[in-house]
Amino acid sequence: MTARMRVMTLMVVLLLGPLAGCASTPAPVEPLSGRLAGSVSEALDASVRLLLERGYVVRHADGDLGRVEAVLARWPGYRIRLQVEPAERGSRIEMTAFQGGHPLPPALLQPWLMTLRSRLGAG
Amino acid sequence: MMGGYGKVLAVIGCLMLAGCQTTPSRMPEAEPLPAAACQWPVTEQTGLVQVVGALERRGFLVRDTDTALGVVSAERTRRVLYHNAVSPRPRLGGFLFGGSGGHVSSGIGLGVGFGGGPGYDEATRLERVSVQVGKQQVTVSRDIQLFDWRGQQVESRTASDGRFCQTLRDAMAGEGSSS
Repeated sequence: MTARMRVMTLMVVLLLGPLAGCASTPAPVEPLSGRLAGSVSEALDASVRLLLERGYVVRHADGDLGRVEAVLARWPGYRIRLQVEPAERGSRIEMTAFQGGHPLPPALLQPWLMTLRSRLGAG
Repeated sequence: MMGGYGKVLAVIGCLMLAGCQTTPSRMPEAEPLPAAACQWPVTEQTGLVQVVGALERRGFLVRDTDTALGVVSAERTRRVLYHNAVSPRPRLGGFLFGGSGGHVSSGIGLGVGFGGGPGYDEATRLERVSVQVGKQQVTVSRDIQLFDWRGQQVESRTASDGRFCQTLRDAMAGEGSSS
């Protein structure tokens, strides 16, 4: 194999490599979950307010189901899904964020959970 | 020779870095953040009825409400012209004339023109709004998306600006006093 052929092979691998990386199997959706001090309705109220304050627009909200879905109109499109359930002395929230349809690492939502906790009071 | 390949490899390397979407380091927010005018304290005159009334009067279609949470989501669409400088669509024009000169002669002329260039295209502007009437305050958030004649999104931005929120607040106050 000549040096030129070796470089050509390397280039083909480099060209195909990124494609393989982008088309990888979707990572499992892992929500960030945590306990909150308030009731389910208090937690949802604070969550919706936080979402709107950050510029998200609510697409669907249902207090009985304990669900909120909101989107952010920034490229490539972001979406946050919240699920609140009653728990012992308060409620339990599960937050999932998506970037253009792909789930984002749950750690990104940690500051949001801290904000919600501080607004609802420590419990 | 090898130097040329080296340059190509460097370009490919840069393209690899640019091609894939990067994961943000923090949760994305609107830029700029919603204006301060998009939040105001709740009064007796600001209820969900006033929110829905004010939105519908401004041409919005209510898409989702939850009375327990005090959330209303609405949207309105508008046909607009936008300056399409990015991807001009090809334009084809034709010109045909013919005539008969009585007994003496007849003729036909045909002209076809083909051209492209930036111009103004028709687009649909979608505006989405969420209003929450919470326990203490009213919060508003809005975004605007633009879809071209193909149905493709050409613009998407957050638009919780002070002017819109102030107009909505005034409209709600008007609803409250009239009902």
